[in-house]
Amino acid sequence: MQACRQSVVKRIRWLVCQSLVLSFLVVLPHTVYAASYTLYIRSGTHTINGNGGAVLKVWGYTDNSTAAPMVPGPQLQALEGETVTVTVYNQHTIPHNFVVRGITTDTAAIAANSSKTYTFTTPKAGVYLFSDTLNNNINREMGLYGALVVRAAGGVKKAWTGGPSFDLERVWVVSDMDKKNWNDVAGAGGTVSTGTYKPNYFMMNGLGGFDAMHDPNSVLQDTTGKVGLLRIVNAGQFDQSLHFHANHFQIVDKDGTRLSSPEPGDTINVKAGTTAMVLFPLRKGIYPMHIHSAQMETANGVYLNGVATLLVGN
Amino acid sequence: MINRNSKILNSLGVALAGLVLVLSPLLPASAARLGTTDALNAAGGVTIQVQALDKLMSDNQTVRFWVWCAGGMGGGGGGMGGCRIAGPILELGVGQRANVSLNVMMAPQESPPYQGHTIHWHGLDVSQTEDGVPETGAAVLGDNYSFSVDSRYVGSHMYHCHVHTVKHLEMGMYAPFIVKAVDGAGNFTNVINSGGPSYDYEWNLMYSSVDPAYHTAVGDSTTFADYNPKYFLINGNEGRSQTAPAETVTAAPGKKVAIRLMGVQSVNTSFEIKNAGGSSQSFTVHNKDGFKLPATQTLTKLDLSPGQTADVMVTLPGTAGSWYPQVTFKNLRNGGSYSNGVVYTRLNF
Repeated sequence: MQACRQSVVKRIRWLVCQSLVLSFLVVLPHTVYAASYTLYIRSGTHTINGNGGAVLKVWGYTDNSTAAPMVPGPQLQALEGETVTVTVYNQHTIPHNFVVRGITTDTAAIAANSSKTYTFTTPKAGVYLFSDTLNNNINREMGLYGALVVRAAGGVKKAWTGGPSFDLERVWVVSDMDKKNWNDVAGAGGTVSTGTYKPNYFMMNGLGGFDAMHDPNSVLQDTTGKVGLLRIVNAGQFDQSLHFHANHFQIVDKDGTRLSSPEPGDTINVKAGTTAMVLFPLRKGIYPMHIHSAQMETANGVYLNGVATLLVGN
Repeated sequence: MINRNSKILNSLGVALAGLVLVLSPLLPASAARLGTTDALNAAGGVTIQVQALDKLMSDNQTVRFWVWCAGGMGGGGGGMGGCRIAGPILELGVGQRANVSLNVMMAPQESPPYQGHTIHWHGLDVSQTEDGVPETGAAVLGDNYSFSVDSRYVGSHMYHCHVHTVKHLEMGMYAPFIVKAVDGAGNFTNVINSGGPSYDYEWNLMYSSVDPAYHTAVGDSTTFADYNPKYFLINGNEGRSQTAPAETVTAAPGKKVAIRLMGVQSVNTSFEIKNAGGSSQSFTVHNKDGFKLPATQTLTKLDLSPGQTADVMVTLPGTAGSWYPQVTFKNLRNGGSYSNGVVYTRLNF
């Protein structure tokens, strides 16, 4: 474990050394706006690396008919007011659906081995949770969730058209899984007793902190003083209280409600199934962002492999 | 004889002056402090140590905590004091420089890789070298911390250990850190935030939750994957009923009380103030996480999630009575309150 911690420190130092390189490498996962997406619902496994990590049985949306499920699913992107078409193929053995919270209302099932096309117009810029809402939260817990990012008109770096400006952005999809009581059971075709939920894996963009602290799509890194927009989606079952070191942020959006006067804070409670957007000015140095609730900083009890990433000012 | 008496008096005077000088960081600010009164000025040169504390809980179970103690110039001239859960309170004036040392030589601690302790200045936005995070370079076997803050920070913050925080935070190494506005002479003033209203009394309420299993587990135990809090505390005390509150304080009727809410618990909470008849009393919220809100909010219930703070104010009725500020601790899955999850305090006036 000493080696593990040294390894984490080394990784963080590596991050500093590679900061310039990273600044070029960091690109949004999908920078081309598409009016249509195709998703496939598949079962498979998802690995949490690092000490305490495990291979979890999951169900997820993915962007390839033969690929492993993605946790979270592919990031969908659109502009404010754009019409988007999403075709979902259910390649799993049980019914699923696809709902963009706050935008679409069709919760009807897509039967196994069939598909459905959803067409919707993005109402306003922000970040949205899409998920499978069926099966008493089991389908979402198993990994069927993701983020839809809706940008301001023209793709300008503003939280919304006419809204506050930012220099860089990250999408943080945070979540949790109960391996023993939910994933192992549902993944083997069993019946989950949903009254008991004891999550032991906590993820940032599907990663434990061991990976998320050097994942360029999670780490917020740029020149000191630059302002980052964090689009936060809590796709989990537990409320998550995200604590930022280094600086206070400004909350500009709480679950789709824009704040005319941003609220300051260093810790934001993003309730299960909701979203938030904050503006964070980078400070020189390396600082953590982590959940401030006991077990959520761990992977099955092993520290610093839960929901954690870094805030780095070059 | 007169000369001799004068000499004795002079000596006594010098001694008293010296005592006052030594104790000056202990003296309360000009507003009365309700509850614990041993706040230290972080600019006065404070040394923090860690001690084990065995606490007998309401069900006759004993839980071992690790708590902060303070000494040095800011702590009364060398003796260690304030050794309690959610203590000692540190205060710092805007523009003044905190000077705090952490000495872990005699501290209870875990084995490597989680040995030692640090202090993280939660909400104070200090530089990386003062941030107290081992994974980004903080020393774990003793350190000196020096920092200052500007007027935006007037309000309530916290300080806590950041080593293996899943355990160390739970163990009790947390306490309030209050930033004060200062006058032209550098004395603390009693305003809730920079340019904000003044108060007559201030009262710190720090929430925490306790899972006894976390107190005995060490290292990379799977115990830390499953949080089952059994005790809920305000200022380190259970307070399961209005007749057995976690803390009872008394203020004068008609006065303004600043209540500083600091949440270091690992579950969600709601704060309310009830009168003797059970009716909710409204209060004003001025700061969140130690920063001034764009507009003061008037509420009867305020949620605080793990790691958040808030500064609220109330004006007491003009006639004598009692209010019962209380905190409901709620689980993170569906917001249901825990068994024994309501902690009461009592504010007499």
